[in-house]
Amino acid sequence: MRLPVEWITAYAPLDLGSEAIASRLTMAGLEVEATEETDAGVVLDIKVTPNRGDCLSVLGVARELAAAGRTPYLGAPQCPSSEDEPPDAALHTGVTIEDPDLCPRYAARIVENLRLGESPAWMQRRLVAAGMRPISNIVDITNYVMLETGQPLHAFDYETLRERRIVVRRARPDELLVSLDGVTRPLGTEMLVIADAERPVAIAGVMGGADTEITQATRTLLLESAHFDWKSIRRTARILGLGTEASYRFERGVDPDGVVYAADLACRLISETGSGTPVPGVVDEYPRRPAPVRLRLRQSRCSELMGYVPTEDEIAGSLMALGFSVAGETGGVFEVGVPSWRRDVTREVDLVEEVARIVGYERIPERLPSGATTQGGDAPGGALRNSIREFLVGAGLQEVKCHTLVAPSGLDQPEPSLGYGDGARIHIRSALSAELSGLRRSLLPGVCDALRRNARHGLGPLAFFEIGAVFSSTGPATHVEREAVAGAMCGPMSERSWLGATRGAEAFFVGSGVVRALLTSLHADAACEVAGGDWEPDARLHPQRQTRIVSGGRTLGILGELHPAQQAELRLRDRCVVFELDLAALASASHADGGSFVPFSRYPAVTRDLAPRVSRGVPYEAVRGIVRRAAGDILERLALTDVFEGPPLAEGLKSFTVSLTFRSADRTLSEADVEAALTQARDRLRSEVGATFQED
Amino acid sequence: MEELTRLADEAAAEVTAAESTQAVAAIEARYLGGKGSLQALLRTIGALPADERPRFGAAVNAARARLEAAIAERKETLARLERETELASEALDVSLPGVPIPRGRYHPLTATARRITAALAGLGFEFVDGPELEDYEHNFAALNYPEEHPAFDEQMTFYIDDQRLMRTQTTALQGRVMCDRTPPFRIATIGRCFRYEAVDATHHHTFHQVDVFMVDEGVSLSHLKGTLKRFASEMFGGDVQVRFRPDYFPFVEPGVDYAVFWRGRWLELGGAGLIHPNILEAHGIDSERYSGFAFGLGVERIHMIRHGVNDLRHYLENDLRFLSQF
Repeated sequence: MRLPVEWITAYAPLDLGSEAIASRLTMAGLEVEATEETDAGVVLDIKVTPNRGDCLSVLGVARELAAAGRTPYLGAPQCPSSEDEPPDAALHTGVTIEDPDLCPRYAARIVENLRLGESPAWMQRRLVAAGMRPISNIVDITNYVMLETGQPLHAFDYETLRERRIVVRRARPDELLVSLDGVTRPLGTEMLVIADAERPVAIAGVMGGADTEITQATRTLLLESAHFDWKSIRRTARILGLGTEASYRFERGVDPDGVVYAADLACRLISETGSGTPVPGVVDEYPRRPAPVRLRLRQSRCSELMGYVPTEDEIAGSLMALGFSVAGETGGVFEVGVPSWRRDVTREVDLVEEVARIVGYERIPERLPSGATTQGGDAPGGALRNSIREFLVGAGLQEVKCHTLVAPSGLDQPEPSLGYGDGARIHIRSALSAELSGLRRSLLPGVCDALRRNARHGLGPLAFFEIGAVFSSTGPATHVEREAVAGAMCGPMSERSWLGATRGAEAFFVGSGVVRALLTSLHADAACEVAGGDWEPDARLHPQRQTRIVSGGRTLGILGELHPAQQAELRLRDRCVVFELDLAALASASHADGGSFVPFSRYPAVTRDLAPRVSRGVPYEAVRGIVRRAAGDILERLALTDVFEGPPLAEGLKSFTVSLTFRSADRTLSEADVEAALTQARDRLRSEVGATFQED
Repeated sequence: MEELTRLADEAAAEVTAAESTQAVAAIEARYLGGKGSLQALLRTIGALPADERPRFGAAVNAARARLEAAIAERKETLARLERETELASEALDVSLPGVPIPRGRYHPLTATARRITAALAGLGFEFVDGPELEDYEHNFAALNYPEEHPAFDEQMTFYIDDQRLMRTQTTALQGRVMCDRTPPFRIATIGRCFRYEAVDATHHHTFHQVDVFMVDEGVSLSHLKGTLKRFASEMFGGDVQVRFRPDYFPFVEPGVDYAVFWRGRWLELGGAGLIHPNILEAHGIDSERYSGFAFGLGVERIHMIRHGVNDLRHYLENDLRFLSQF
């Protein structure tokens, strides 16, 4: 809200520069967001919080400034009250309120002998400074009074009102109104309208109607000053997509006791500027007069909540400066009357805030809390997230953070084997764009987008991971939100070097190396399952280059090369490998404490190679398992050192070279011990996977 | 005897002149070896008269010891020189880059969140995670938001349906915690929030927020100020001043925004206040006995201030030119 300083200080005479005034207001809770030099002097742009509708006015701001600046508030301009005048207005019109819950008060005054023209220059100057366009004396006066008092007013052409009377009611089904902006608006039965005997003539508290607008031909006007239910105004304005200065103020709370005063002030200005002749008296319907709010304020409560002991004078002085009545203090308890414009003050704690901000928050000392409390520390999932992050960062992956709200895409598919229901996408209601239309079901689109984006700029290395929440629907109004970790790698993991690029391994094995080492670092027992058998390959991945990672019968996630079609879509030259693991499944598979100590053998080790030749279709995992089982307890370590295909091997064969380390816990192994284990392994390999050996 | 003197002088001269450890070894063999000259000389002792033999033997041994010492010294000198020559030939251009070690990095918001977590955990705050997909009840109703209140204008919300929404503030966790705990407690949470905002340098529809709150007997604005001061000092370093200004949030009363004075200017960091008694009472906490404070702050904002980042959009764009700077 823009207001010129001179208008505010007219009611709060503070002999300070505009900068000091701005700072006082800001520190009192009316944040001055900007100051601007204009023809009408310095103009302040004040941000009023939604609870302080009373400050959407010059008088409200002046009251705050006076209290904060310890200067007297001069009060609203003097004005003869229509309530003291003969009730002539009642001879001209009548007001019927059919829905007093939505319209607790409605006052109407009549002005005759209207002479439409320009408003005085001083008024125009203030309006322009406040950001309003001068239109005519009548419109300007209603705007001026609204700015000064906060009470929106509306002027109807009296002679266009059927039966010359006002009915405040809800709109009827299928009623329409052409509003002042020329738009025909269908009204809903939840909306409050101002009607005459036959039809709506205004949307209450929001905007007047075109049919009853004052024109050059208008001779008599009916001036409305009313109070409306803020919820109803807000709902109506929202449904119509029509926010106005009036609705803005009504939503935030207008003083119901100031209704007649505002109409009287407008009439005084109309009369003084020779714009018309107000008819004495007012038609004032006030069916829902709010009960005055009286609150108890304990000095002890103030001190407890502030951590500062305000004096009785400070308490009473602060409240009275803000217009509260403070009656007899007994035993440190004040009886406080809340002014009608402060509907936001309903409890003792609200009064504590008033005292604290006027006394000044700078008076409050800094103290650390003490006493028994919770044990400080990271969230339960924090340790696992940190371990994963630390490992992946150490492995050379850059952590990224991607969007939760995403457009649908081929990569954004759930992994059904994780067991989180049907995995349907969750949509944002009335989404404004595809990019913000739903929640991600997978982290893969995000990490892959990081590949695409950085590859496009020639940046690298392209190795990214994210830990984050993914979502999927599990029923009509149910969903699952879970955490996952995903990674995507493309091309070499480190920069090109003068030492010669490390020979690019198949992308798949880069990813597989990272994931397996991650699982090891988390002490998770997990195995890679080969596609086929009981599970469908993931369509996002290369059908022949993917695996499911399983632990104790539970799927942890997937690992594989991105499907070449997806790779092409991302415009990436090299093959990409991606993985995505479920954090909850990972947590249950990992033994974070690492298990108990096993004494190690002090006897020497014997190392032997074994080189079975098997047909191409036999997976290494099968060979490894057979050797492990056959070699028995003395097999300490097993490492694959070579995989070979091609001549001199026959077509369709491959050989694995496995280095075996044997060691016994209780003796030095003999050649015979080792040979027995090797023979056992060879025999099993022959019988179970048809292996042959060079020595055969 | 002259023969001995001549031999000793000759050997000493040869040792001094020797240019390599191999040459010294050859000299050693020639004079001191089993078939060496000194040994040969010693064998002539039989030809001497008996009374001269001890003197001659001693003289030979002394000459032998001197020669051995000279040889050892020369060997060491030459070995050192040879080592030096060898090392000199192995010079590397040490300014060349080393073997590239793949290096990942934390996302700057992770690094910032870890700092925040460490600072607050040190002050006794326990971190708890809350869902990003929240319900209306926890995000608004339990936080004392009246229906159709203009406070919603600052919380443009992504709704899923009438009940579910993307949380607009991590404050949504407060009700969840109060439902299953009894005071005293000090809780903090850190996470992602969503609001319908047009994206520009200072606004984003997706951002990260910290929410911190405690409930105990006698918690006051003074404790809030003290905690913020300690926290801000940990985050920014040094003795940081804290300033309160009245502000409005439905879930606190009194409500303030707080700023810290850092490097010559006031930085507004977020909202704070005493937890509204309506909220305590709605969760069965006696608001006469207990009070609490709460404060929030933006994770991006902390990082932006500390590192002079001027555009909020960088944080979710995942451009290595940004990420690699932290």
